[in-house]
Amino acid sequence: MDAMEKPKYDGSLIGKRIPKMDAPEKASGKTRYIHDIDLPGQLHAKILRSSEVHARIVAIDTGAARALPGVHAVITAADVPWQRPIGVAKDHLPLKGDRVRSPRDEIAAVAAESEDIAAAAVKLIKVEYEPLPIVATAEDSLKPGAALLHGEDLIVTGPDGKREVVHKASHDNVAMTFNYGQGDIPNGEAESVVVVEDVFRLHYVTHCCMGVSGVIAEFDASENLLLYSNTQVPFLHKREFAELLGMDPGRIRIIQPPIGGGFGSKLDIYPFEPIAIYLAKITHRPVKLIFSREEEFMASPTRQPVLLKMRSGCRSDGRLTFRDVETVHDNGAYTSWGATTPFVMMQTISSLYRVPNCNYRTRAIYTNNPYAGSFRGYGNLQATFAVEAHMDKLAEAIGMDPLEFRLINAQDPGEVTPQGMHFKSCGFKDCLQTAASRSDYQAKFSAARGKWNDGNPVKRGVGMASMLHVGGGAKIYPSDGCGTIIKMDDFAHITLITGASEIGQGSETVLAQLACEELGLPLSAVTVVNNDTDVKPWDVGVHASRTTFIAGNSALGAARKAKAKILAAAASKFGRPAERLDLREGCVIDKATGEKLIEIGKLIRSLHFSDKAELVMTTFYYEPPSHKQDKEFRGDVSAAYAWATQVVEIEVDTETGIVKLLKVIGAHDVGRVLNRLGIEGQIEGGVVMGQGYALTEDLIVENGVIRNPNFRDYKLVTAPEIPEIDVSFIETMDGEGPQGAKGVGEAPAICVAAAVANAIYNATGVRITALPFTPENVYRALHSNSQPPTWIAAA
Amino acid sequence: MSPQPATTGRPAVAPEEGVAAIETYAAPRSLAEAVALLRTGEATILAGGTDLMPQSKTGRARFQRMLMNVRHVPELRGIRGTQDCVRFGALTTITELLDSALVKNRFNALWQAADHFASEQLRNAATIGGNICNASPAGDTLVPLLVFDARVELTSEVNGAAARRTLPLAEFFVGPGRTQRRATELLTAVEVPLPPDGFFSEFYKFGTRPALDISAIAIGFGAVRDGQRLRQVRVAFGAVAPTPIRAAKTEAALASQPLPAAIEPALAAAAADIHPISDIRASAWYRRELVRNVLRRMLNNVTQN
Repeated sequence: MDAMEKPKYDGSLIGKRIPKMDAPEKASGKTRYIHDIDLPGQLHAKILRSSEVHARIVAIDTGAARALPGVHAVITAADVPWQRPIGVAKDHLPLKGDRVRSPRDEIAAVAAESEDIAAAAVKLIKVEYEPLPIVATAEDSLKPGAALLHGEDLIVTGPDGKREVVHKASHDNVAMTFNYGQGDIPNGEAESVVVVEDVFRLHYVTHCCMGVSGVIAEFDASENLLLYSNTQVPFLHKREFAELLGMDPGRIRIIQPPIGGGFGSKLDIYPFEPIAIYLAKITHRPVKLIFSREEEFMASPTRQPVLLKMRSGCRSDGRLTFRDVETVHDNGAYTSWGATTPFVMMQTISSLYRVPNCNYRTRAIYTNNPYAGSFRGYGNLQATFAVEAHMDKLAEAIGMDPLEFRLINAQDPGEVTPQGMHFKSCGFKDCLQTAASRSDYQAKFSAARGKWNDGNPVKRGVGMASMLHVGGGAKIYPSDGCGTIIKMDDFAHITLITGASEIGQGSETVLAQLACEELGLPLSAVTVVNNDTDVKPWDVGVHASRTTFIAGNSALGAARKAKAKILAAAASKFGRPAERLDLREGCVIDKATGEKLIEIGKLIRSLHFSDKAELVMTTFYYEPPSHKQDKEFRGDVSAAYAWATQVVEIEVDTETGIVKLLKVIGAHDVGRVLNRLGIEGQIEGGVVMGQGYALTEDLIVENGVIRNPNFRDYKLVTAPEIPEIDVSFIETMDGEGPQGAKGVGEAPAICVAAAVANAIYNATGVRITALPFTPENVYRALHSNSQPPTWIAAA
Repeated sequence: MSPQPATTGRPAVAPEEGVAAIETYAAPRSLAEAVALLRTGEATILAGGTDLMPQSKTGRARFQRMLMNVRHVPELRGIRGTQDCVRFGALTTITELLDSALVKNRFNALWQAADHFASEQLRNAATIGGNICNASPAGDTLVPLLVFDARVELTSEVNGAAARRTLPLAEFFVGPGRTQRRATELLTAVEVPLPPDGFFSEFYKFGTRPALDISAIAIGFGAVRDGQRLRQVRVAFGAVAPTPIRAAKTEAALASQPLPAAIEPALAAAAADIHPISDIRASAWYRRELVRNVLRRMLNNVTQN
């Protein structure tokens, strides 16, 4: 033993700056992403997409493609008559046989010996189309006589020949609606001294994951399906793939290689995945399908573009009286999670601030555009953009300081909102005050207003925005739980097998910290296993900023059970009551004296190798004490709620329209900091994503066609534009959170655009209600060369 | 880096039509060898490759049967100054421009353009000759080179011997991506006369971010200062016409009266010099506004300094 390296103990791991466990592999280029995996006998697949935006398919000729040497299979909808629809509304068949509704639409696919051969074969497929009218905007889609995107029932035929309607026809192009109300709007209006109304337009952006989408599908000789998949929700997808394929879900195994970015984009099944599976089934070979970057732009989901009309009022004392909101969401050609973002939007609209009377009506409208999925924030960026603009406008209208106005209406701990959310821990007012004081917000706000007419073309301004988001999971399924298995070996090395998935957010490290903290072990004593559905216990998946909270509590539960077992063994071995013992620095200690009784590994070995041989192996399933919402969208959907305020400082060049983000001062109620380095990185990354949404990113869609499917013309923020970021953590020590922590994943991206809009107004006196704030858009607004968005006439 | 029409996202060319169209690869070791290989005019010339490779992927550039890598031709390298002229070998990289004290001291606008050029990696590979032959209306070095009255040197093989011709850069560009270079010619160097004493120059590039962006407009300006009078005024614009242009009317307006009286007439003249279009980077209207506002700001700075 003496020759061996002894583990290092650094005391408590909570709140320390701990490098992510996967950082050395990623930084040294050793991480094996799905792109790096090649299976023996593997074929490469490519998809033929539509050359038309909206058309009937008259004929498909795959003869030349099939004849190309090296091609193993060419499939069209006709080859998979048993295919079933995917997506949230089941309105989307993976391979389109009779009609295309968007240029991303999949018509045929090839599996071949190489990517080059597959690409060449795709080019040999001939498709004859009969064009249909293009529905380019939600506004056009709602006009009387507009072409219907899904005007006929979608019927599939089972293997037994039975026909089944899987999606009902939509005769008005409406894909999904949500209506929520609390209080009484006319009463609220009657109490108001000021009412403001605006129409906001939120644009298309997409995730731009550095790792493009991909999948490898393989059937073994017994027809069990193995998928290497980048999914964020492996257990949900296992079930969904089983339904798609008519298989027993137990025969599907999903392995998640390290994922090169998710951000919500991998919450749904997209056509390329079933297509790769069909090809694997037909060829009896492993089939790998990896997107090109252009395909990633074209055929991965977007954030939901929204047109939002909002009226808000307040009393002379600053109290909000009502908020009346209607939105139209551009759903795109098919329905994915984007259509359900109103779940989150209505929380911000009804409950970020106390507003007694509130209406929220929303419709997702089919168009021939790219279809929207879920994206970090899940509708919250759009809702916050409108709500925070009105907080500033109302404050100005009654002559009140915007910080004071917000403090009057901000939620307090203990509040149960009309929507049923119970804010057991709530650091919102601390967030407001901390961000304001660290940024010197009030002084800078007043100073900037005094310079609107000083003749200097370059203006400075500050803007404030806050956010509310779920921070303790979100019970949108019957269970919002996560399982953990902890196995300790005879050297006290822990294998922490968690249901949770790692998508770069740093969950492995935080889960390891929580378990090690409980068991008195260093981080080097743990291996996290989290990527194989045949090994790991069930979990909902990565969404709703839930992993630290839910999987953290689960890991903690399993660790506590292991600890109890070890302490019980030590108690009997040393004849001291277990309550007197603890685990620290790899040893069992006596709490009162600090005396080290035995190394944990030695104790475990004595358990293993005794005549009553026993292993230290525990399981725990954590289910948060939250509730599914009822049909009126009421219910305490999360076990905890996260809060944040961000103040931005900007510079606007009124002669060019360039808006520079100079500094972001954030205060985040995160419950408790677990990994300080990790959470700083997550917040900085989120701020930069919010900056891109506000200032540079713009997926330009014209008549259904994406005009900038590349990083040259789709402008991500690059290193020189990243502002100074000052983050304060408000530690409210949530009673249900693991070690007091709440979720933080989505929060930092949510307020940036809203705060920048307020800062542009503070700098220039011009309120811009449409994103993005690219130089030309800002310049046009400043020089009255653009119209503010207007509400849809046909609506 | 150059503008190109928006695509629908589908690769326009399958690999077999791209690189696979190349039958022969040549890497000449001398200029004589290079121009001899060009005799038939059926070679695609590879220098830095930063435009050629992405363009061949999208189908904008088609490979000829021969790919000729000129990077090993020693005559194409080096920055050499004579008494009245500086000769930039066609293979001079953007990084070499940035690192050159001569460029920094005498050709400030060119140095600034190199500083704003794409990214570190692209600056290391991209060449001045490639930037010129790509003939993008938004090509970063082209605007300052026009300000400095650059001439291009073209070499071909005639009757078994190397034959040279030079022509002013302003005449070299014919349209977007099109130049006066014949298929049998190699652009071997750029010659730039040393500007007169007291000549100062500025370059401005407008993009939505400071790195890795293609100009929505670019302005190059140079003159000799004589009190509030400007002499030898040279103004060039990028991304506001089918080619980078010298702005003759603007120059005349600035030369005709002292600052600041010359500014407003110069802005009006600039509006007549440019012919911008609308594309995904900017509308024609916005380009006109930018040219006016930025040029005014540049001229105000000149007036005040």
